[in-house]
Amino acid sequence: MITTDQVQIAAAEYLGEKWGTSVTVCNVEKIFGGASRETYKLSLEVDGETRGVILRRDPPSSLIDTERHLEYGAYDRIYPTDIPVPEPLFLENSPDFLEQPFSIMAAVENPMSDVAQLSNDQKQKIGQQKYDLLGRLAAKDPLALKFDEIMTVPKVVSTAAEQLAYWQGIINEDEIHPQPIAQAAIRWLAANLPPPAQKISIVHGDYRTGNFLFNDQAQITAILDWEMCHLGDPLEDLAWSLDPLWSGEELALAGRLIPHGQAIQIWCEASGLSCNEQALKWWRIFVSVKAVAIWISSSENFENGEGKDAILAMAGWVMTDRQNRILLDYLAPEVLS
Amino acid sequence: MIPHADDALRMLSQRLMTQLLPDLKSLYSLSDGALIGLLINAIADEMAEGIQRRLDDIAEMKRIFIAGEALLSSKDKEVTAAELSSYRLADVNDHHDALSRILVLLHEASENKGFEALNQSIWTYLRRHTQRHKITAVP
Repeated sequence: MITTDQVQIAAAEYLGEKWGTSVTVCNVEKIFGGASRETYKLSLEVDGETRGVILRRDPPSSLIDTERHLEYGAYDRIYPTDIPVPEPLFLENSPDFLEQPFSIMAAVENPMSDVAQLSNDQKQKIGQQKYDLLGRLAAKDPLALKFDEIMTVPKVVSTAAEQLAYWQGIINEDEIHPQPIAQAAIRWLAANLPPPAQKISIVHGDYRTGNFLFNDQAQITAILDWEMCHLGDPLEDLAWSLDPLWSGEELALAGRLIPHGQAIQIWCEASGLSCNEQALKWWRIFVSVKAVAIWISSSENFENGEGKDAILAMAGWVMTDRQNRILLDYLAPEVLS
Repeated sequence: MIPHADDALRMLSQRLMTQLLPDLKSLYSLSDGALIGLLINAIADEMAEGIQRRLDDIAEMKRIFIAGEALLSSKDKEVTAAELSSYRLADVNDHHDALSRILVLLHEASENKGFEALNQSIWTYLRRHTQRHKITAVP
């Protein structure tokens, strides 16, 4: 555990060294909700000008056990494209400055992420952009953007099975209690693998409402939280974004923004890809299993004392409960028959 | 002496959220404190109902194990026949976990061997289990 004062002192020293000039850190604010990294917003004075940066520090434990260089590498490769992300500035792998590795990105001005208070028109506008951007991400060539330098390139025929095996392994390794619903889902997924992916795409891995910023003109200004980014079937991101967990009480709306059918149509138009109903169903069940795995991992971290953040307990308990009911709605025999 | 510990937790959670948190200046602490308050409410519900919920699960699983006896190993039968060591939440929970592990195996066996009625009864149990354990204290 470090204090904001420590962050203030270390960041001033670090950025001053990197930029070769005097940097004053005027304010440090810890941001709530960054469960995979500790996140701080820093207000700086550099050469007489003010600017903001975001510092993301590895915690001793996180919701998602990811490697920071993959996340930073994803930002680095996406930033020059038409997909809006914060400008990546520095990746520091040494624990010398803040006891843990960290990364620094430019802050986005006037950021908003909560869609609850938006008008229906604003939700419609943001929803259309959300799925247009996701479609455009799916259309990109990961090799042209050199993603193969930082992550494995799977084959179209095996990516679904590989993803399933990976998250099944996480559940088996981290489960504190037996998971009969998730295990039933895993058996169903293994027995009903989808057709090969239409292409290998950049998969954001956590594309949902709450993981992008928008401004007061209802324009999406940055897509965040690329720590689960990988290469794979683009339907995975679409399915994850449609998961009922992100819809609250508004189950007919994808991420509380626009109807599911509209979201899928926009995605298809922007990506140039089709959306096979059976394949999407497979990926929707898969992403629920993946979510259970993530929530179980966080629960395990909380239980073994690695992490003490309330968000870990919340994810591990409350969200597993909700996700199990979502899986039941997909898999119970009366639904499948 | 607090005879109703769950009520005490709910009152403490309310005090935390309505009287202490508003005085905090940091938005991070405010958000984290609110989440802790909600979790305390969920723990209060678990304290009040957790043992009974698990006992209901256990009783229902045991009925399923009787119906699926032909698919159980002798070792599994020993576990399913064992009695609770105590009514402490941790012991009830351990027993529940042991039975749930066997339920996972039985569920798979019912699928592989086409025991459809048994399979349906397990799904029905899972539905009731999730309803029993549904967390309502957190929106």
